[in-house]
Amino acid sequence: MMPQLLTVRVKRPEGRTIRIWVPLLPVALMLSPFLILAALGAAVACRVYRVRVTQAFGAGWRLFCALPGTRFDVQEGRTAVLVSIR
Amino acid sequence: MNEQRKDILGMLAEGKITPDEAEQLIAALERDQPPAAASSEARPKAKAKYLRLVVDTMENGEPGRVNARVPLQLLRAGVRLAALIPPQALARANAELDKTGVPFDLTQLKPEQLEALVEQLDEVTLEVDQPDAKVRIFCE
Repeated sequence: MMPQLLTVRVKRPEGRTIRIWVPLLPVALMLSPFLILAALGAAVACRVYRVRVTQAFGAGWRLFCALPGTRFDVQEGRTAVLVSIR
Repeated sequence: MNEQRKDILGMLAEGKITPDEAEQLIAALERDQPPAAASSEARPKAKAKYLRLVVDTMENGEPGRVNARVPLQLLRAGVRLAALIPPQALARANAELDKTGVPFDLTQLKPEQLEALVEQLDEVTLEVDQPDAKVRIFCE
């Protein structure tokens, strides 16, 4: 299942907390023209380096779909950053 | 149904004991038996899903903490992607490794071997304790 939501939480030293929720599917749809261009670029790079395009895209998609559950939480003194993918 | 319960029901069917007595005997039998702990012990341990990295540090009196959780599925997908690295890139990586004193041939590393390595990761627990830092790597 592809990731649905990216959550970023930043806690600043003065105690202020910023939370950002990014719904990935709408963002991907919005950026689809750029994503198509990036995919074309990746396909050209695969041809140049003699890598099978379908295999590379398949592996990339599996990597993307394996992202849900990833979580990075870093705290340093009174500053904290959390990145979570669901 | 166990043998003792069968015997009780048999005695009830033969009219040797009354239904009340049969009920009391079955209740006593259930009391004597340990709870179903054995069945939970026999259940295989749940397979690990995530690789966890926890680093606790103390720098200049301020505590720091890194807590990362990576799905093992992501590692498996990464291994498949790594299998697509072109041979010329692997040769360059080998040369760089050799320069740094690590004579390791990446072309000999097969994706199946890496996948087997990831499969066995759930048994791994790595702990490093230092006065100013503590690192724990484990699967859950």
